[in-house]
Amino acid sequence: MTLPLSIDQITAHYGTTKVLEDLSLTVGDGELVSLLGASGCGKTTTLRLVAGFLQPTSGAIRLGDKDLTRLPAHGRDIGLVFQNYALFPHLSVKNNVAFGLKQRKLASGERDKRALEMLDRVGLAHLADRLPGELSGGQKQRVALARALVIEPPLLMFDEPLSNLDAKLRVDMRVEIRQLQRANGTTALYVTHDQEEAFSISDRVAIMNSGRIMQLDTPETLYQRPANKFVAHFVGFENLIDLQVTARDGEMVHAQTHDGGKITLSQERLGAIPDAFVLATRPDGLVVTNDASATGLPATLGMRTYLGRAYQYQCQTGAGQLIANGSLATPFESGAQVTLVPNPDQCAILQPE
Amino acid sequence: MLSTPATLAISLFLIIPVAATISVTFSEPEGLFVPYSAFFDSAFQRTVLWRTFEVAAIATVVSVVFGLLTAYVVSRCPPWMKSVLIVLAVFPLLTGVVVRSFAWLIILGRNGILNNFLQWIGAIERPLSMLYTQTSVIVALIYIFVPLMILVLIGVLENIPDDLLQASSSLGASPTATFFQVVLPLAVPGLIVGAVLVFTASFTSYATPHLLGGSRQMMMGTFLHQRAMTSFDWVSASTVAAIMVVVIVTTVLVMTRLARRLNPMAS
Amino acid sequence: MATRIHPLLILMTIVVYIFLIGPLIIIFGASVSDTTFLAFPPQGLTLHWFENIWEISAFRRTIVTSFQVALLGTAMALLIGIPAAYALNRHRIQLPGWLSTLFVLPILIPEIVIGFSLLRSINVGLGVPVFFALLIGHTLLVLPYVIRVISASLASFDFSIEEAAISLGSRPVKTFFTIVLPNVRSGILAAFILAFITSINDVSVSLFLTGPGISTLPIQILAHVEQFFDPTIASVSVLLMMLTIIVMIIVERTLGLTAVTK
Ligand SMILES: Nc1ncnc2c1ncn2[C@@H]1O[C@H](COP(=O)(O)OP(=O)(O)O)[C@@H](O)[C@H]1O
Ligand SMILES: [Mg+2]
Repeated sequence: MTLPLSIDQITAHYGTTKVLEDLSLTVGDGELVSLLGASGCGKTTTLRLVAGFLQPTSGAIRLGDKDLTRLPAHGRDIGLVFQNYALFPHLSVKNNVAFGLKQRKLASGERDKRALEMLDRVGLAHLADRLPGELSGGQKQRVALARALVIEPPLLMFDEPLSNLDAKLRVDMRVEIRQLQRANGTTALYVTHDQEEAFSISDRVAIMNSGRIMQLDTPETLYQRPANKFVAHFVGFENLIDLQVTARDGEMVHAQTHDGGKITLSQERLGAIPDAFVLATRPDGLVVTNDASATGLPATLGMRTYLGRAYQYQCQTGAGQLIANGSLATPFESGAQVTLVPNPDQCAILQPE
Repeated sequence: MLSTPATLAISLFLIIPVAATISVTFSEPEGLFVPYSAFFDSAFQRTVLWRTFEVAAIATVVSVVFGLLTAYVVSRCPPWMKSVLIVLAVFPLLTGVVVRSFAWLIILGRNGILNNFLQWIGAIERPLSMLYTQTSVIVALIYIFVPLMILVLIGVLENIPDDLLQASSSLGASPTATFFQVVLPLAVPGLIVGAVLVFTASFTSYATPHLLGGSRQMMMGTFLHQRAMTSFDWVSASTVAAIMVVVIVTTVLVMTRLARRLNPMAS
Repeated sequence: MATRIHPLLILMTIVVYIFLIGPLIIIFGASVSDTTFLAFPPQGLTLHWFENIWEISAFRRTIVTSFQVALLGTAMALLIGIPAAYALNRHRIQLPGWLSTLFVLPILIPEIVIGFSLLRSINVGLGVPVFFALLIGHTLLVLPYVIRVISASLASFDFSIEEAAISLGSRPVKTFFTIVLPNVRSGILAAFILAFITSINDVSVSLFLTGPGISTLPIQILAHVEQFFDPTIASVSVLLMMLTIIVMIIVERTLGLTAVTK
């Protein structure tokens, strides 16, 4: 059995400080949604609210058609995986996994059988009698995963489950987590501050900032069509340029910065462009050229750094400091006068805020 | 609430009784501060207070100095020796104050080991009376508190990262220079905490001044007991108690604030 | 780090340790001396003074009382101290700041003042029997140690372990007993031992809380010394030191003795 989760206009406080404001979120049946954001933005708090370790000031949390909001934490039936594993240090691996079954009053023979089966699925049946202290980090996290899965919860939640593991293991484990979640078809809410991890593992990702969800979308949409400056900057659109449309010519739009820098964009590639807009570009989205006839923003190049696949330039323009990548074939010296031309593949159009 | 039983116990059996003791001293019909002026008008009682300060201060300073140097040596010892030395400091610490004060009764008595020894080497002809002097009380208090200082300061010294000492010697500082310029400043907050422990415990001690000072070297603790249980003057005893509370609370508050201010590792 | 230590410092350390241990050896010597006054070195050897402890009924009685008070007082302090320490660590933000200050008050107030005040208010004022006043005094005496030691143990306890158990369906109260307590066992043991030793050796709180037929061993020792200057006290002291040694062996076996400097 697996159920959709819906969080409805939750506000939460620690003491008198507000940490979540009017947060709404749904996770469809069998879907994996990630909460992604910098440390302190309220991801853990959201999980703790759903798990029942914290009471919301207002709002409601539902799992299927069951209202969880006033249910005590031990009655919520949610599988939780913690960053620091949170294994019971005094219980064997097998008893850790069997713990939830014991609370559900299963006979001990049945408990052991299911615990061992689940340990087998995560490849740790041979360590069943060890104590958690004797396991490596990756093994510990597998036990934690088995412990959460064995109770067959309708909802699984993960709080930065991989951040204590080394880089290689992180990649392996996230694939494993995704496969187990898919195989069981369990609804899952996954917290991470690692963008690559979130994008690779999730059906949809919620980007959070200061206790709010800034955008909830598929990784592809977030990456290509951020909805606002925060998300744009978060996914690597480092340049945010305020522009005003001066003329429209079919699908071609001519626009200008406040100090007169000119840019031409095609609505075919970027969608409808409003009269006032923000052009968001990644460093690769600004082509550095010394071709005087190109339409673009005039810039003076500052410091150059070598990225391996390109050179990166700090560019001084009338619209502020911008970052652009230039090809290795034609390096420019610091102080060169150039033109920055947007490359629509690495650009997005935002509403001014 | 889970902390309610402890809160209640402390309120009912500590705060209220102690507050009652103190309030008695302000409830004399003759006037608000009469018990205090009586206390300070008496030369004998002033002497008791002053002696208590003096004894506690000397015991504290000596314990701190020897405790620090010993702790420094112990913390630099190889592990097995360190364990042995820690055990040898814990043992007296866990042995009661009465037993440890009593030891000095045997040592300093008329037929005690020290008199016997001095007579045997011919330094003296007849036994000296060393008991019931200020020195005997101070020596016993130092004896009692040095192990505490050693253990507190080993903890403090071990909290100083080895990196700092290595950095110091790599910059050319001799062990002595490292001790005075790196170790000591970092240990100051811990030293203050330890010193406060020793001072307050000495200031309020009873068994040691009772056994080794007797009625000749009355200190605040023994004086409080004498007022209450021999003279049955409970107002006077309460006054002594109130003065002790004021001295201790002030010392602790001032010194912990100082320790916090002098802590270079605090952010 | 192996820095050289100045020879004078090493010499001083040796002297300090002779100063620390010597007097305790002297007590041992005095306890087996066959003179009727306290003498060291002993002239002849005897165990008479150890037998004498059992012949003096006041010692027999006070030894029993001391153990009763130390065990009961420590048990009561654990009973109220463990929940308090748990609350302090688990719900620190929700609790008012003065609470942790309140819990260290018994350390701040001189023990002798606590004893005297309990005599005035509880024993004389309310007519509470001496034994219970003594028990209350000792509970207060050891409560701060209990709270501090168990707090230190809880400070390194990862409360997400508790949350994991609850999320798996274990009720909070049951979780406390099956998950939290087993993981702070060593803290509780340390608190118990420290409290027991403090209570058994206490003079200042007990001083005023004794009455006809009820006294503790340290108070009885003080009373005995006033009247007799014989080696009985030395042999009682040796017994107390043996108790200390037993406790240290227990600590070493369970916690490791170097834990004391932590
Ligand atoms: N127990 C707590 N008490 C007070 N404030 C807290 C507590 N836990 C978290 N916070 C605050 O709430 C905010 C959100 O924290 P959290 O949800 O843990 O963030 P994240 O998991 O995204 O890093 C932070 O500003 C944090 O400082
Ligand atoms: Mg977090």
